[in-house]
Amino acid sequence: MKKIQLASLLIIFVAWALSGCNRNQKKEIVIGVSMLSLQSEFVVNVKDAMEARAKEKNIKLIITDAQLTAEKQVQQVETFISQKVDAIILNPCEVEASSPAVDKAKAAGIPIVNVNSETKSTPNAFVGSRDEEAGEIAMEQLAKLINYSGNVVIMDGNMGQAAQIKRSVGAMNVVAKYPNLKIIAEQTAQWDRAKAMTLMENWIQSYGSKINAVFAQNDEMGMGALQALEQVKLKSKVVLVSVDAIADALQAVKAGRLNATVYQDAKGQGAGAIDIALKLIKKELTDKKEVLIPFKLVTIENVNDFLKK
Amino acid sequence: MNQQYILRAENISKSFPGVKALDNVQISIERGKVHAVLGENGAGKSTLMKILIGMLTPDSGEIYYKGERIKFTSVHDAIKTGLSMIHQELLPFPELSIAENIFMGNEPTSKFLGWINQKEMNKSAALLMNKLGAKVSVTKAMKELSIAEMQMAEIAKAISNKAEIIIMDEPTSALSNREVDILFGIIEELKQQGIAIIYISHKLDEILRISDTITIMRDGKHITTCDKSELDHDQLIALIVGRELSSIFDKKEINPGEVVLSVKGLTGAKFKAINFNVRSGEMVGIAGLMGSGRTEIVNAIYGLEKILKGEIIVKGKKVKIRSPRDAIKNSIGLVSEDRKKFGLVLTSTVKHNITISSLRKCSNGPFLNLKKENQIVDEQIQKLSIKTSSPDQIVNFLSGGNQQKIVISKVLLNDADIIIFDEPTRGIDIGAKSEIYRLMTQLVKDGKAIILISSELTEILGMSDRILVIHEGAIKVELSKAEATQELIMKHAMA
Amino acid sequence: MNFKKFTSPTHLIENSPGIAKYFKKYGIFIALLFICIILTIATPNFLTLQNMVMVLRQTSINGILAIGVTFVIISGGIDLSLGSVVALTGVAAASFAHPGTHGLIVPLLVGILIGLGIGVINGLIITKGKVAAFIVTLGMMTIARGLALVVSDGRPVSNLSDSFNFIGGGAFLNIPIPILLFAAVIILSSIILNYTKTGRYIYAVGGNENAAKASGINVHSIKMFTYIMCSGLAGLAGIVLASRITTGQPNAGVAYELDAIAAVVIGGTSLSGGAGKIIGTVVGALIIGVINNGLDLLNITSYSQQIIKGLIIIGAVLLDRKN
Repeated sequence: MKKIQLASLLIIFVAWALSGCNRNQKKEIVIGVSMLSLQSEFVVNVKDAMEARAKEKNIKLIITDAQLTAEKQVQQVETFISQKVDAIILNPCEVEASSPAVDKAKAAGIPIVNVNSETKSTPNAFVGSRDEEAGEIAMEQLAKLINYSGNVVIMDGNMGQAAQIKRSVGAMNVVAKYPNLKIIAEQTAQWDRAKAMTLMENWIQSYGSKINAVFAQNDEMGMGALQALEQVKLKSKVVLVSVDAIADALQAVKAGRLNATVYQDAKGQGAGAIDIALKLIKKELTDKKEVLIPFKLVTIENVNDFLKK
Repeated sequence: MNQQYILRAENISKSFPGVKALDNVQISIERGKVHAVLGENGAGKSTLMKILIGMLTPDSGEIYYKGERIKFTSVHDAIKTGLSMIHQELLPFPELSIAENIFMGNEPTSKFLGWINQKEMNKSAALLMNKLGAKVSVTKAMKELSIAEMQMAEIAKAISNKAEIIIMDEPTSALSNREVDILFGIIEELKQQGIAIIYISHKLDEILRISDTITIMRDGKHITTCDKSELDHDQLIALIVGRELSSIFDKKEINPGEVVLSVKGLTGAKFKAINFNVRSGEMVGIAGLMGSGRTEIVNAIYGLEKILKGEIIVKGKKVKIRSPRDAIKNSIGLVSEDRKKFGLVLTSTVKHNITISSLRKCSNGPFLNLKKENQIVDEQIQKLSIKTSSPDQIVNFLSGGNQQKIVISKVLLNDADIIIFDEPTRGIDIGAKSEIYRLMTQLVKDGKAIILISSELTEILGMSDRILVIHEGAIKVELSKAEATQELIMKHAMA
Repeated sequence: MNFKKFTSPTHLIENSPGIAKYFKKYGIFIALLFICIILTIATPNFLTLQNMVMVLRQTSINGILAIGVTFVIISGGIDLSLGSVVALTGVAAASFAHPGTHGLIVPLLVGILIGLGIGVINGLIITKGKVAAFIVTLGMMTIARGLALVVSDGRPVSNLSDSFNFIGGGAFLNIPIPILLFAAVIILSSIILNYTKTGRYIYAVGGNENAAKASGINVHSIKMFTYIMCSGLAGLAGIVLASRITTGQPNAGVAYELDAIAAVVIGGTSLSGGAGKIIGTVVGALIIGVINNGLDLLNITSYSQQIIKGLIIIGAVLLDRKN
């Protein structure tokens, strides 16, 4: 008896909670959004920018979190299709595995926009940045700061992910240009601050003052490396550059602790994605199907511009 | 070479680190005969059987099967050759059906693709089980069977494997008397078919009833092999323990004191309206068939079974017992029938098992006083003559008798005044048995109240001052020591 | 009474010669020693005081977690929620640790109390609700992760006070604070397991719950204790981690429970409960820490690192079990 009561209470509660989602089914524009992972600060920033722009334009967003799983992402898009949304914005988890999501949306005649990264299948439009560019900008700045000569260590993101591969490619393009830049170690710290700190400590143990510069593929790892370096008072002798321009990194650049980071324009990507989706819905989009939001180098000189954003 | 022997093992020796388990042992098995192997725990019976069945390889010695020298490298080898063993602790696949268990590893297959022929399998299984006189559907899951039925399935399996020798290790330890009769009927049947049985048991009455030949082992050595007719009960005991035992039960007259435990209208899931009293200095026996509810009654008194109705009065005070903690607080102790499940932490040491219930005696606040604990444990080991290399020995490695003594010592340390012994001597050799009987007698003399449950009628009759016979969850009759006989108890227990 | 005198052993499994016995008892120590010797030969940077201190500090977080889960595993349970609890407590503590707000005590209390609270919830559902520990803590794993994200709004909580950051980054008498905390946890846990009634009961409950109950042990409260201890230590680890990386990270600690459980199992504690030692777990955690450190020192590539790490862990346990 007790169990039945409990179960019926639960059903009523869930039904009540869910009914909130279905309330206004008027003729407003609805866009389904599937994000890579809302545990990543950058992705959250893109999402926030989308929400802000959607509010301006009076658009309803259904935001889902794929939690890094392509399979979940495809399911989410399928749900959007059955909900008959007006457009879909996809922040792909994986190049190959997220492709079916794009194919399905297109087959259902719902316009789909990829934001931030690519899939193998071509969507109706793409808004994002070239990750290679981030690697290039960061490594170029790093090289400049050590006069194009010295020993460099590289902290990779999760091996095999698009961002890791492309940032590596960009960085290596630059390294190839300068024969006196030597990569003495490259290792993954899985985008993680604590892991990066441990890795940096181990490198310091191994190479000591031989390290002239560190390139971390994201700011989280950069911040971890920074702490490890500061702990043994080596930071003044080592150049450190990372990518993403998260709040902590900008503060560190401002304080002169981090030499540079690369700003990826979350706001631009998020707002851009909404804009282009709206154009697709209204069938206004004609030729420009790829919007590239450029990366920007952040150093102590211009950091204040980014802190305001 | 004597052709009547189907299996001969000669000069078998086997050592384990620190102990010589078998020392030049021989055994010869005849077709169509029951060959009993007797000995105390640790005498080497199990080791010898494990060697015969291929679970262990001997250090030296030869085994001949139908005159040919053989060497088994696995149990599978032995089974293929014609030896099967029915273990004391049955090892079936509980979720599978009887038929599937019988034909495990030997399934009848269709010619096409080798699929299991389910229909054929069930049919053959049913035939086998019928032949054994078992009235149970072969599609039933093994776990739903009684122990007796599982044993039949195991025997059926041995027959289906075309076994010519079947080893039975303590087959009756969990059977009621009626089930034992059925099993012995089956054994007679098997003998008629020329199958040899190697029968291991502690129960001398059974051995004298069923066996043709008896081999006695002691301390890893072969003592004697002879015809059943050459020995009587007392001679057997003397040979097993290596000394004369005047009598196992040396119980004297007692003077019961006050009523310390009384149970009024106690009702649970498997018993109803139970009333009885136990006095200090008195031993009350509870007899009944397995499944009659006798264990549930005492478990309820100890807080292991839910009480639906009725009251328990300890030393004149009504008490509520919801868990063993409550029981222990009211100075009730239980030596459970299932030593491995409720009695011991097998992975733990002798010391820790002895003191686990009474750590308060050797601690200051939350902290243990290890010195005091060692002292208490040493005392207990000596008092109960527990045979162990050290107090830090893992109990799993001890013999059943020593394990049981540890359980008893745990209960005694708790200062229990009312002690329930549920099948205290099951699976225990004669030597340890008599020690436990002596201990119980001493406890009663010291003014403790004891409730004894046993399936062995000689034990109940020899020990109890009064006997309650349980039938289908109710007390059928109370018999005084003077009037009780085996026949009378069985008559009441069975109907 | 007419009892026999104390009798000497008859047929016990007694293990023969000295070395084999020594190996059996100390196999896992020898495995650790073996790995250390190889690394000392392979790289001059391994066996230095500085690196040893560093390995200890790097191991301390996993070590604290592993000790906590040792309690649970000995009692026959499992806790999969550790990593998420680390994130939640770290984020929560960090939220109260901004400079000039609450001082040091408040964030510490917040972190540890949240940890303890989660232990209470886990324990209650497992004992009173009779739900399998695997399921309860798996559920708690996602709940705690979700709470960490809600509390932090998905962003790292940074700008923490110097006093808070001292816990993970500071040192006392030249010994890093995380190592001191780790040492304190080792000592305290060893005392509880070896020298208190509660410790004895934990082994009994894990070894045979039925027998423990029949021996009058309050099985529920013992299980509660282990889960509370485990989550409380996870709270401490969460604070140390947040302090060490000077931010509360909602996505920190992913899969930390696996490293912790691995350390426990490498250390010889049986997953079926009833047996195990804190010192084994400490050695297990050190083996994992030393491997991570050594492979970085040798600059072995990320892909091969994973393979080698797995092989060493299995090898270490084999060495322990074989002897």
